[in-house]
Amino acid sequence: MIRSTIRHIALAALILCLASSIAIGAVVVDTAAKPPATVCLACHGSQTGPGGIPVKPWQGSVHAAGGIGCQDCHGGDPKDAVNAMSPARGFLGVPAEQGIPAFCGRCHVGILEDYLKSAHGRALGKGGPTCVTCHGSHEVQKVTLEIINEKRCSACHTYERAARIKAAMQEVERNLVRIDGEITRLKQEGVDTDAWGKQLFAVRNRYHRLFHNVDVALVRKESAAIRGELDKLDDFLSRTDEERYRRKIAGAFAVGGFLVAALLAHLLAKSYD
Amino acid sequence: MNTGTRRRFLATSLAALLAGTAGAVLYPLLRYLAPRRTDTAQQAVRIPLAEIPDGTAKFFDFEGKPAVLVSSKGKLACLSAVCTHLGCIVQWQKDREEFRCPCHGGRFAIDGTVVSGPPPRPLARLPFTVANGSVTVG
Amino acid sequence: MNPLQKLHTWIDVRIGIDALLKKELTGYLLPRNINAWYSLGSILLVLFSIQVLTGILLLVYYVPDAEKAFQSVTFIMNQVPFGWLFRTCHAVGSNLMILALFGHLLSVLFMGSYKSPREFNWLSGFVLFNLVMGISLTGYLLPWSQLSFWATTVATNSVGVVPVIGEQLVEFLRGAKSVGPPTLSRFFVLHVVVIPATIAGMIGLHLFLLKRTGVSLPPFGLSDTRNAWRGEQYRYEDHPDGIPFFPNFALRDLSSILLYLALFGTVVFFLPNLFFPAQAFVPADPFQTPDRIKPEWYFLPNYQTLRILPSELLGLAVQGAAMTFLALLPFIDRGTERHPLKRPLFLTCCICGILTFVGLMIWGHYS
Repeated sequence: MIRSTIRHIALAALILCLASSIAIGAVVVDTAAKPPATVCLACHGSQTGPGGIPVKPWQGSVHAAGGIGCQDCHGGDPKDAVNAMSPARGFLGVPAEQGIPAFCGRCHVGILEDYLKSAHGRALGKGGPTCVTCHGSHEVQKVTLEIINEKRCSACHTYERAARIKAAMQEVERNLVRIDGEITRLKQEGVDTDAWGKQLFAVRNRYHRLFHNVDVALVRKESAAIRGELDKLDDFLSRTDEERYRRKIAGAFAVGGFLVAALLAHLLAKSYD
Repeated sequence: MNTGTRRRFLATSLAALLAGTAGAVLYPLLRYLAPRRTDTAQQAVRIPLAEIPDGTAKFFDFEGKPAVLVSSKGKLACLSAVCTHLGCIVQWQKDREEFRCPCHGGRFAIDGTVVSGPPPRPLARLPFTVANGSVTVG
Repeated sequence: MNPLQKLHTWIDVRIGIDALLKKELTGYLLPRNINAWYSLGSILLVLFSIQVLTGILLLVYYVPDAEKAFQSVTFIMNQVPFGWLFRTCHAVGSNLMILALFGHLLSVLFMGSYKSPREFNWLSGFVLFNLVMGISLTGYLLPWSQLSFWATTVATNSVGVVPVIGEQLVEFLRGAKSVGPPTLSRFFVLHVVVIPATIAGMIGLHLFLLKRTGVSLPPFGLSDTRNAWRGEQYRYEDHPDGIPFFPNFALRDLSSILLYLALFGTVVFFLPNLFFPAQAFVPADPFQTPDRIKPEWYFLPNYQTLRILPSELLGLAVQGAAMTFLALLPFIDRGTERHPLKRPLFLTCCICGILTFVGLMIWGHYS
């Protein structure tokens, strides 16, 4: 009797220990590793003056999400603190206003081409916009059509022309966004969307590049061509969705069959009792 | 309905459903395991002439099976490389200008006919055309 | 005699199949008050068989190489006819197996079936529980997705808190300092050969013990629910006024199995992504840890315990103590009473334990 009581008390004590230790909130172990840091971020990240300004905007940018770091645009050595900003290591510093398009154009080649041919490009250095004017320098986000808006575009001229281009791009843009969403959804269901995702990416870039010509007629012409590409993507999406629908129908039959069989087995069992 | 009839009806229905389930499992199983019908059928192969110097043979895959393109005394021949005896792959003997099967010593001439040994039939000849410095088989 | 009867006689005079069938099926009597919880064992058997079958099928196309693993799984899901079906069955089956295991464990706890003379059965069941956790952990890595890679990193990290040999243990488990191709190789061997064979053997032992001791008597619907076992000698616990296993209880088993299969089918066909977060479809990147990576739901209580306790060693010790307690339960709880409502202390501890476990799981999920 005594032994059994002692055992029961020990049991209760153990449970209490467990419960109370959970109640002691403590240090939460941070298990998420941080991506390897560059020396650029190590210094500029802790600066409080102008040097520290770009860090946070960059961290939230589409460049950061894609693994594009400071050195990819500004050059220099991201691993060597002493020579990080040495011209010998390719450091380019901050581009002058007129050098901005060429700076961004090292990667965004096609867009640089279109921009230089356009009215915007011709106005470079004469009060015209640079890449940074619309896209920002470090806080660059994935482009949506909203980047064309009254506030931004009426800084130098009337909004009316920009509005026409925006209107011409609405429908295709809407489809691009829609298809992007569908591909993401299918990817999350295990469908191999790699090739189609890449195709959409290419079409999207080809389309967004158009704007930099600031030529409504060109936009309209290209929209028609791109619609064809989007139709192919839509075709893939509808075929995939159809297939998944057929699977669900087969599944309904399977589940229904099992339920009926379970009922039959149950009734059969009862007939023996 | 008495117990006996009810039992028989239920048992038969249940057995039928379970048999259906077995079939519904067997079909996907067989399709999953069946060899894939890829597009290797009727797929032409192009080989640059530079890759087959005179006196040499080049082995390649054609419609899922090994084949050989040989150049000898200025003439080209394209044959299946599968020995007609028991399926081993024949080897080109440059000094003798013939194919020899390493498994049981069967010998084939450059046109595929059996010279000696156990093979019952000649090596199959494959159609090919020569154009623009390359050979197209199939 | 017709040919079928002749064949039957031919077999019977050689191996006595009639007597065998009578002993194991029609003459095997189960207690009258047996309930549906007793079917969980056979459900688990069916589940294990499905896992083995689908696992073998997946092996036909899966490549256990770090460069090719993810792509081979994508191939199975998209190109191989019905590959999506067998892969989804395997993934869903592993999760439902653990759910069924918890149900089986809890029903044995509540009905006091772990008490004497069934200590061996409880111990073999406990070992099986750990083996199933192990096979789930090793299988999780095989698709080589971001989810696989980082969940395995977190899980193998926890072994490192063992004093003195912790670091070597982690390295031994992983086959290298961090999760990589050597980890995939050894986890593959464990998942495909070592653990399944061990599980099969343990199931054999578990069933042998069940047959040898006899099925336990449920404590419901009886006036005296105390354990009748005296322990002076071995005695098979039979139920002379019981119902035959075949066809009566076998049909009830079949009905439960089919109900389970309906549930299984519902998840496979209509909720396939229940156990596939987005990171399951991104190939592993050893240099990029995704945000908020967590182990699977059944490891969340362990994970959360490690996170909230002040030291990881304490976290591991607490879990070790809890598991040891669970393993030795039949030796700690020697009371003869089997009805759950007549064991207030046990019931309280049990419910507290379940609430703690589930609470930690939910907390782990949302934190």
